[in-house]
Amino acid sequence: MIEIFWAELKRQWIQQRRFAIDSIAGIVGLAIIFYGLFLTTQYLAGPTTQFGTRLDSIVVGYVLWTMVSFIIGDIAGGLQQEASTGTLEQIFLSPFPVAQIFLLRELARLTVTLTQMVAILVLLMVLTGRMLTFSPALILPLISVIIGAFGLALTIGSLSLLIKEVRQILSLLPFVLFVTILVPVETWGMPARLVGWLLPMTPGAGILRDLMARNQGLDWGLLAIAFLNGGLYFAIGWLLFQQAERVAKHRGRLGGY
Amino acid sequence: MARSIQSDRVASDPNILTAHQLRKAYRSQGKEMVAVREVSLSLAKGEILAFLGPNGAGKTTSIKMIAGLIRPDQGWVRICDRDPHRQPAALKLVGAVLEGNRNVYWRYTPAENLEYFGILRGMSGQAARKRGAELLEQFQLSHKRQTLVQSLSRGMQQKLAIAVALMHSPALLLLDEPTLGLDVEATEDVKRLIREIVHQGCAILLTTHQLAIAEELSDRVAIINNGEIVTEATTADLIRQFSGSAYLVETEHSIPAERVRKLHLLGVDLQTERSLHVTDVQVLYQVLAILNPMPIVQIQKDQANLTDVFLKLVRGAQA
Repeated sequence: MIEIFWAELKRQWIQQRRFAIDSIAGIVGLAIIFYGLFLTTQYLAGPTTQFGTRLDSIVVGYVLWTMVSFIIGDIAGGLQQEASTGTLEQIFLSPFPVAQIFLLRELARLTVTLTQMVAILVLLMVLTGRMLTFSPALILPLISVIIGAFGLALTIGSLSLLIKEVRQILSLLPFVLFVTILVPVETWGMPARLVGWLLPMTPGAGILRDLMARNQGLDWGLLAIAFLNGGLYFAIGWLLFQQAERVAKHRGRLGGY
Repeated sequence: MARSIQSDRVASDPNILTAHQLRKAYRSQGKEMVAVREVSLSLAKGEILAFLGPNGAGKTTSIKMIAGLIRPDQGWVRICDRDPHRQPAALKLVGAVLEGNRNVYWRYTPAENLEYFGILRGMSGQAARKRGAELLEQFQLSHKRQTLVQSLSRGMQQKLAIAVALMHSPALLLLDEPTLGLDVEATEDVKRLIREIVHQGCAILLTTHQLAIAEELSDRVAIINNGEIVTEATTADLIRQFSGSAYLVETEHSIPAERVRKLHLLGVDLQTERSLHVTDVQVLYQVLAILNPMPIVQIQKDQANLTDVFLKLVRGAQA
């Protein structure tokens, strides 16, 4: 598993280096957005100001939003691309579960993107003299949200395996994310809040809002719910992907596009 | 370059591949279309089976069922006693180059492709790099190891795809149209590599429309038509079976009328004024005695080739 992760990381690095202009353009774009956040937070951050109006909160909100939208669409997009270029069946000839390979690929991409983001933020802090402070407590709810995002990614990936063309579904993603990440379920009364916690990623996003916008401490009970939520959506995504793989093999539609 | 093949580890079943009574049907607009019915194949270590058939006969579906990429409706597949549909470890024993697919990443170099796919097949990074370098050497691609695949010739891309399929030293190699679209030199290269691979102990299931290549390389032939195997035999037996017992005798000059009359009495008629067909082997030497001392250009036994066999079987089934 570690070998595959390193292999995927190496592939990412090769891509970044080989298509340097594209990579640099991406990094410059990211740097401009972050610089914009440093200058005028509210304007550029848009809906992610839900996570608080302090610069640290805005930055975390923006990173969370970007990462989640990036994760959810990427596995489906990757499957679609591999099917059209004719390499997907070679991946299915691996003895490792294909869902695992695509998750590790995603994790490698995430690692590269996060490294770039951190590097840009450090550079901006040095250049502008504005310091960001992040509580280590943010990491746990962030992880719960990412686990849930991986589950959703596998769910959309399983659709991609079966129907191949999922561009329209992917275009709906920002609206789904708007509901799941930005709606303040934690402020709802019972039993609506319980129902809200069943939505993907909502408990983790709620904890982040509590920590950053409301300056509350980490609610361990809610954190457990967040991990349960993330784990549930991950398990659903994993099972759906296995099922989609079985159906695609039964229909003989694995490699076709 | 000798290398131990994974099949060495499996001693219980003499066959590397056993496919038993495979059946696959698809539903289209409410109708069932049977793509493959009751296909059984077996393949031993170091053997090449040419799996032939017209377009749409069911070759690729069968190969993909063997590779675990399409689930059969009925029947089963064993690769060294393992089921590729239920035991993922069976996939470590199989490599495949699938027709119509790129099989490799075009935006990466041969060395990068080999390393990546080696790791995906369960090798460590170090072992994959070492094996990749060996294969590049064997496949005469070392000088292109750092060139992007998209810049390689079609022949080189195909050789790389075969090398990628061999990274984990599989016991079974599935080659679906490996010489399709290649020029003469690249085709010869691929044929040489196939001989080398099989010499190292790998079993190869080969589909091709180039029947001369199948005849040259294969130990056995299976012909599939309309989803069913119509014949399976050793290549030599099949050709013998479809070859006649007649001889063609050709002389340098026209055969004089007196000799023609004598040949008639033996029941032999001329095909042209310089050639004749001897269908009864018993009279061959009497025919030669009649022709003696005329210069003879050739005496040739009526020998079928795989193309004749293929066309007879496939057209026979269509009639």
